[in-house]
Amino acid sequence: MEQSPEYVIEMLHITKEFPGIKANDDITLQLKKGEIHALLGENGAGKSTLMSVLFGMYQPEEGVIKKDGKVVTINNPNDATALHIGMVHQHFKLVDVFTVLDNIILGAEETKLGFIQKKNARKKVQELSDRYGLHVNLDAKIEDITVGMQQRVEILKMLYRDNEILIFDEPTAVLTPQEIEELMQIMKGLAKEGKSLLFISHKLNEIMEVSDRVTVLRKGKYIGTVETKDTTKEELSRMMVGRPVQLVVEKDEAKPTEPILEVEHFTVPSKIHKNNAVKDVSLTVRAGEIVCIAGIDGNGQTEFVYGLTGLERPSAGKVKLLGKDITHATIRERSLDGMSHIPEDRHKHGLVLDFTLEQNMVLQRYYEPKFQKGGFIKFGAVREYAEGLIEKFDVRSGQGPVTVARSMSGGNQQKAIIAREVDRDLPLIIAVQPTRGLDVGAIEFVHSQLVAARDAGKAILLVSLELEEVMSLSDRILVMYEGEIVGELDPKTTTVEELGLYMAGAKRNNGQEASAS
Amino acid sequence: MKGFLKKSGTTSVLATLISILIGLVAGSVLILIVGIFDNKIGLSGAWDGIRLVFIGLFNTGRDASGVMTFGFNPANFGNMLFRAIPLILTGLSVALAYKTGLFNIGAAGQYLAGIAATLFVALEIPTTVVPAWIVWTLALLAGILAGALWGAIPGLLKAYLNINEVLACIMTNWIAANIVTWLFDLSNLKNVTEGTKTAYIYKTSFNGVETAKLGLDKVFAGSQVNAGILIAILFAIGVYILMTRTTFGFELKACGSNRHAARYAGIRDKQSIVFSMGLAGALAGAAASLYYLSGNPEFFWSTYQSLPAAGFNGIAVALLGACNPIAVIFTGIFMSMLQVIGSQITFLTPFNEYITDVIIAVIVYLSAFSLVIRMWISGRGKKKPVKPAKADAKKEVKA
Repeated sequence: MEQSPEYVIEMLHITKEFPGIKANDDITLQLKKGEIHALLGENGAGKSTLMSVLFGMYQPEEGVIKKDGKVVTINNPNDATALHIGMVHQHFKLVDVFTVLDNIILGAEETKLGFIQKKNARKKVQELSDRYGLHVNLDAKIEDITVGMQQRVEILKMLYRDNEILIFDEPTAVLTPQEIEELMQIMKGLAKEGKSLLFISHKLNEIMEVSDRVTVLRKGKYIGTVETKDTTKEELSRMMVGRPVQLVVEKDEAKPTEPILEVEHFTVPSKIHKNNAVKDVSLTVRAGEIVCIAGIDGNGQTEFVYGLTGLERPSAGKVKLLGKDITHATIRERSLDGMSHIPEDRHKHGLVLDFTLEQNMVLQRYYEPKFQKGGFIKFGAVREYAEGLIEKFDVRSGQGPVTVARSMSGGNQQKAIIAREVDRDLPLIIAVQPTRGLDVGAIEFVHSQLVAARDAGKAILLVSLELEEVMSLSDRILVMYEGEIVGELDPKTTTVEELGLYMAGAKRNNGQEASAS
Repeated sequence: MKGFLKKSGTTSVLATLISILIGLVAGSVLILIVGIFDNKIGLSGAWDGIRLVFIGLFNTGRDASGVMTFGFNPANFGNMLFRAIPLILTGLSVALAYKTGLFNIGAAGQYLAGIAATLFVALEIPTTVVPAWIVWTLALLAGILAGALWGAIPGLLKAYLNINEVLACIMTNWIAANIVTWLFDLSNLKNVTEGTKTAYIYKTSFNGVETAKLGLDKVFAGSQVNAGILIAILFAIGVYILMTRTTFGFELKACGSNRHAARYAGIRDKQSIVFSMGLAGALAGAAASLYYLSGNPEFFWSTYQSLPAAGFNGIAVALLGACNPIAVIFTGIFMSMLQVIGSQITFLTPFNEYITDVIIAVIVYLSAFSLVIRMWISGRGKKKPVKPAKADAKKEVKA
């Protein structure tokens, strides 16, 4: 059966070991022609390692790879390219200052006497983009186009190289809901044209919508392959995590008490345009409640949080934390006054990627007497503390506390940040897209941590783009549209549709928070 | 043995040693080629040159019949240690900045600022009034301070106006060169006693200010060595402790590695950048002070057309030492050994000292490839690529 030529790519009994860890343990993955095959697994389940094996970046200790039924050896990415295997990486591999067309042909340029000939290339790319609905301005520079557009460039790159097997590594992690919808359509179109797609993801909704079959990995082991139409989200998440997973957040009624964070007429100028990014926002977050700011990305949420946390200066308004005016306080002062911040961009703000995990764990606390004496860091205390957090929050990494943050999977990086921020035990937690890029098991964990913090009397300000998360986690919803709070909703009485209307700016009410002006 | 080879510390040391070896061989080949094509030198002359390249430190001159003799040469050793002083310190300057994410190409300017401050203090305060050791201390502090201030300027420009520190450093280098010339032009410190010399400043020994020898001149007879080398080593250890053990170093490194994350964590990113450059400048200033306070060097004050090489040699020293402060001690001494060999070659053979510049260039060039060499070492005898991770770290994975 394994010889069957209906499979374009077969990875049979792949085993790959790293010092101290079996990243892939006897894994089999068979990709049919023209199908969308999802590869599902938690962060660190071995998906990336398996793909690196397919791309020749690692050589497996055991197992074989077959293309169209014939055994092939892939020693480096060039071999993979020769076999028409292409991949869209999670973090795009594009040259920012080159145009779209230049990026597509980069490495596969047609030349005449050493001069690049772009005419044919342009024609071919244009044809491809028309055929698959991948519309993008070929002469725009990468740095000027959106992330969704950049992803299209990556897809065009694969198509331009006549790749037959297209691998998408968590392609939706960086996209807005609309862009995700478009990508799904593009993927279906590609499969219809006979391309074989391997879709790496841990978002169950997307897998259910777009894939034909699903292969599940857990902790480096092969769990099984199922037909998407015969399975359910619950079953998939059970296979992935190894236990039934709570897909809906379980929490009791909030019992809000005294106000922790009070924001009045808060205005933050935009760095992109001349208008204000945040306009006259007033809100209150009380102890023991989760207040969520919902909205489509780019409606001022980022700037609002930057202003609150001191990363940017507001132009007007006032912020009070526990009754103390912190509008002009430094970041360190805010931290000492009781604000912890799970940042939106974990690579830019959340972590020093070249530092070890333990150094990152004490990034805001290294100066506390617990971790230093007379200006000298107490390495023993730092190690002990980091090991405690790793244990408690199940942060997985190759070498424990001394793992370099850069080498960790995205999900575990996020877990490390959450561990650090929640463990500081401060009265206010500002969490910006805390579950971005996490698998269901980890999401469940983060949600339960936030609910537990709420029940312990913390005030939580959540900023989220995921409607499901907004609806299930928050006690109150404030919708932000073009820098303003356009409505306050109660998640128990509102519907996703109504929320969507507010988010799109089609509807607004002057809830008590927004009416302050 | 395999595990030993895989250790990242071992491989980087080995990579450096291989770079050095290739550099020395390249210098030898050059000597050989020049020797073969020059009838006056010939193969035997080339052989002398090559031997000097490798073991010139142990050369004791030529005997009566003109054959080179080898053995322990205290003067060579002492001079090597003496010349290492400014190299170690400017190397530290570049290494510290590099560890904090900055490229300090301005060590030359900071060095000049240090020279000016040191010489003014050391020569203008009469030792008849103030004890010499106090003048010496003040002169050293003045040099360090001047270097720090000069280094802080590109730091300020980078932190507050986001001007690339490399550009600012290059400009401040030349500004320093001109200001120093102008200051000494106005001063009355020009050496007028030795009539044939123009544009030189008095040695600090003119005012009786000299770094203590601590008996080192007895151990290494006939050399200029003094306690400055010990001070330089103490500085290196200090920088090592600062960068690896203290909260201050943690802040500087966090800032250098990811300024945004450091800011997010409440570290004052702008101040950290200024501090980094200031400290780097202080080290370059100390290099200048300790070199000129040794008493003997005379400063050629008309610097507006050229920058002191010491500043740029620091870059080579730091790169070769992978910017590790302790390694910089050794690479600094190694570079000064090459300088000593250079003068040996000039003195004893028809070749000139620039041979050693070629060697240094090759070594620095190769040290940029040290990653390749390291991969070659750790991947040797294995077809499978090795995961580039620190294999010496504790292998504990919580399953």
